[in-house]
Amino acid sequence: MKPEKTNNTGVNRTGIFILLGLLLLFVVALNLTLGSVRIPLKEIFKVLFGQGGVKDSWVFIIQDYRLPKIVTAILAGIALSASGLQMQTMFRNPLADPFILGINSGASLGVAVAIMGAGLAGGLFIPALSAVGDLGLVAAASVGAGAVMGLILLVGKRVNNPTTLLILGLMFGHATSALVSLLIYFSAPEKVKAYSIWSYGAFNGVTWDQLRVLFPVILVALGILAFLPKGLNALLLGEDYAKTMGLNVSRLRTLVLISASVLSGAITAFCGPIGFIGVAVPHIARNLFKTYNHKLLIPAVVLIGAIVAVAADLIAQMPGTQFVLPINVVTSLFGAPFVLWIVLKRKRGATSFSV
Amino acid sequence: MKTPLLFTQNLEIGYVNGKPARKVVGSELNLELFQGEFVCLVGPNGAGKSTLLRTLTGLQPSLGGEILLSGKKLAQFSRKELANEISVVLTSPIEVGAMTVNELVAMGRFPFTGLFDRMSERDWDVVRQSLEMVGMLGFEERMVHKLSDGERQKVMIARALAQEPRILVLDEPTAYLDLPGRVSIMNLLHELARYHGKTVLTSTHDLDLAMRSADRLWLMSPGGKIINGSPEDLVLSGDFQRVFARDRISFDIMNGHFTVVDNSEGQVCLQGEGQAKVWTERALQRVGYSVSINNEACVGLRVVVSPVDSGYVWDVMEGEMKKRFFDIGSLVDYLRR
Repeated sequence: MKPEKTNNTGVNRTGIFILLGLLLLFVVALNLTLGSVRIPLKEIFKVLFGQGGVKDSWVFIIQDYRLPKIVTAILAGIALSASGLQMQTMFRNPLADPFILGINSGASLGVAVAIMGAGLAGGLFIPALSAVGDLGLVAAASVGAGAVMGLILLVGKRVNNPTTLLILGLMFGHATSALVSLLIYFSAPEKVKAYSIWSYGAFNGVTWDQLRVLFPVILVALGILAFLPKGLNALLLGEDYAKTMGLNVSRLRTLVLISASVLSGAITAFCGPIGFIGVAVPHIARNLFKTYNHKLLIPAVVLIGAIVAVAADLIAQMPGTQFVLPINVVTSLFGAPFVLWIVLKRKRGATSFSV
Repeated sequence: MKTPLLFTQNLEIGYVNGKPARKVVGSELNLELFQGEFVCLVGPNGAGKSTLLRTLTGLQPSLGGEILLSGKKLAQFSRKELANEISVVLTSPIEVGAMTVNELVAMGRFPFTGLFDRMSERDWDVVRQSLEMVGMLGFEERMVHKLSDGERQKVMIARALAQEPRILVLDEPTAYLDLPGRVSIMNLLHELARYHGKTVLTSTHDLDLAMRSADRLWLMSPGGKIINGSPEDLVLSGDFQRVFARDRISFDIMNGHFTVVDNSEGQVCLQGEGQAKVWTERALQRVGYSVSINNEACVGLRVVVSPVDSGYVWDVMEGEMKKRFFDIGSLVDYLRR
């Protein structure tokens, strides 16, 4: 008997994975063709495979605008969702995610402090940052994110109440945002504008050079996560059970702290604080696969996260118009009702991780 | 003489980081647990039962003294080593979503599986055996959150068994269960000790069940002292009654349970035999009579229960008055007036 293979939920998990893979290809293809300029799929393939005979402007749009943007969106979706999943399990809180717990604010504080502290007069945040500073930027953001998350963990150990934890995150978020505001207050007006644009969140504007930094960083953080499903599963029973099962809880917590804050920190540094993807995607994965098991959930949130981010970006482009919405407008418009739904579902007596 | 599997020397338990800085819950505890015995930890609420169990399982540090497990200090065990010796079932219900019984019990194999939690054939065998021991074979693919409370508790015990511990520690496993559920769990624990050689330590509020099924009781008084002995010895010595002493509650030493003392209605004599007598007596006590049974020299109020073809009849006599009832309900209504 191989009980691992059986599943009485009637969910064909391999089938869902294949469907999700196809869906990802579909939204990526759609995102490549649609936008302020519509480029036929055939022409796109020509550009991708280096064949000639395509309009120069199209080549430019695809190679230097749409492709890096899509790669960034995929990385962001993966990173934020994987970060959210870890945090939800560790805090035993269905609403935990980098955005809600103020960890993104910690990341922005890290970036702001690094720039001001290093005396880089050039400007605040991405627009003026050279590729040399990218790794430093990621490091600063991750440290900022890790600091806030560590603080929440430290204080959160004393409170067992999910609501209190959320309030804690909210307050930490406000406090760090205030510090960022203070830094901005003493900055030149053009930096303030740069900051406000950054804070809307965007997948575009990340260059290939920056992606060469972002990609390996995300990969390493995901690599850490790949070793954690066993511990995260044990943690579902609660910390006491996990301890009596022989789990080194503090080590797991440290690894989750590193992985989750690097994932959310790096993305926040390059794309700005992006809300709701981290909280929503793990719930979609649990509902879709009807499982608690992190061995399945981790690949599931990676796929779904990528799809959601690319789709959100697609909507933000408002195909057929000249307008581009900030990505946060899209994720919040769809994400906020989703979080409300999670909260209301909980009220009906469902357990925090139930599907 | 047998050597205990686990014993404590002048153990002091409590909390360190609170106000006041050190809160001692129990001290000078010298306890022993032997292989294959079923021990119930009983005592009033707030006596420190959970603190003791958490200390013995390494979930919180002791304040002083020693705990020795298989001759080695508990503090010297790593979490993983300890997981091979002791497994637990805690009071608070677990909050997991879509998890099958099989998956939950398989979590008990945590200390034995590798970094990526791959289950071997033997691991699944142990899961199956554990489910068999608690009588939950056939529930493998059921969802944990759709089980009844009693079934879920059995699955939690199976999870603990899958850890193949020498000692099974449970904190009020019957707290959320109905009466048949409680009986069933306590009986299961008794069997695990008796037929499977497990050492089982559980805290419980079910005194009656504890007395009937435990090999020994650890009787914890509010001062944090523990008296231990067989249930019967503790009753005969009066320790049991002392620890649970309350106003108007008394321990009925003949029947082995606690009753409310209420003689406000005075005395009544009861004549009769068998079950009908027993249940009539309980009804009379319930409404506040002190009952004397089959007392020939009785004067005053008398109740006679006698069998008839259709069941029983109850005759109430007082001086010249005599009344007949056909069920206890109307008898009691009449006596209450």
